[in-house]
Amino acid sequence: MHEYSVASEMIHALLPKAETIDGRIVAVILKKGEMRILSDQALANAFELLAQGTVLENARLVVELVSVRVSCPACGYEGAVDHVSDDAFHFAVPILSCPTCQSEVDMKAGRELYVDSLTVQTPSEAEQA
Amino acid sequence: MHNVQVHGEDILKRQLELAEKNRRLLEGNNVIAISVMGAIGSGKTSLIERMIDRLIADGRQVGTIAADSAGDDDHRRFLAHGANSINLNTQDDCHLDAHTVDHAVSHLPMETLDVLFIENVGNLICPADFPLGTAKEMVVISTTEGDDMVRKHPKIFAQTDILVLNKTDLADAVGVNPERIVSDYAAVNPHGTAILTDARHNAGIDELLAALGL
Repeated sequence: MHEYSVASEMIHALLPKAETIDGRIVAVILKKGEMRILSDQALANAFELLAQGTVLENARLVVELVSVRVSCPACGYEGAVDHVSDDAFHFAVPILSCPTCQSEVDMKAGRELYVDSLTVQTPSEAEQA
Repeated sequence: MHNVQVHGEDILKRQLELAEKNRRLLEGNNVIAISVMGAIGSGKTSLIERMIDRLIADGRQVGTIAADSAGDDDHRRFLAHGANSINLNTQDDCHLDAHTVDHAVSHLPMETLDVLFIENVGNLICPADFPLGTAKEMVVISTTEGDDMVRKHPKIFAQTDILVLNKTDLADAVGVNPERIVSDYAAVNPHGTAILTDARHNAGIDELLAALGL
């Protein structure tokens, strides 16, 4: 349950930029690595609460998953990994291993957590809509 | 509506930088640091006690950071076994982070230590997102938690070097098959090492120390 502190840091870092924007911020697009153990719903709830009274109030938090990508020092493979397909896990769990030669790999993507973009509606866009 | 690109810094960047700072400090002092994660009651403290005994008998200096929401029970246990210990109450925080560890290590005699065990708060979710800057990470579960633990918390096991399955002496009594846990772990982490221990009866401790490179 560290979603609240993550949302707090995110809003703190985002506000200086968000306050310069001309228009209404409709959505905040957050990129989240597949290996991160963060609940999207808890993040959205924390964001909604903490954004009150700021220019981010009423913006929707949209969490987009970034798939794990690896590079293999043994065979040079670069790309996605396999996932555990056992139904008992219910969720697809990335396997941090080379899908071609089964060696240990370096993770190149899958642990990130950053705001990628904002969806903005300017007054003129609102009129057209 | 239109999109405004932000490409913000990683929200946990400061944590990663502090973890790297810890790593440099530890390595610079030739301290091998081990992060010990696991559920409440899995036997983290008992396993560390057994390892302290072995390492001290081997002439090595051991430090510990005992993290709990409240109290100093684990801290006092480590002191009784001869470790240089720091008690760290996280109050309501569910995990340790690199920043807290950064403060804690400043109270330890780093130049004299050989090994540092950092016992995290009992939790199988949050600690995985917060690297501390240690050389190795291990997750402890016990047979009494059931043989579905890896399936219930796959992501922490998928990214942790070492799984310790403790309380193997109780497996039969609670009807748990350790092999099932080990094979689940192998499925999510083919390069990890699974060690079976019974801390109470001192079984598997040498294998664990070897897996940790100690």
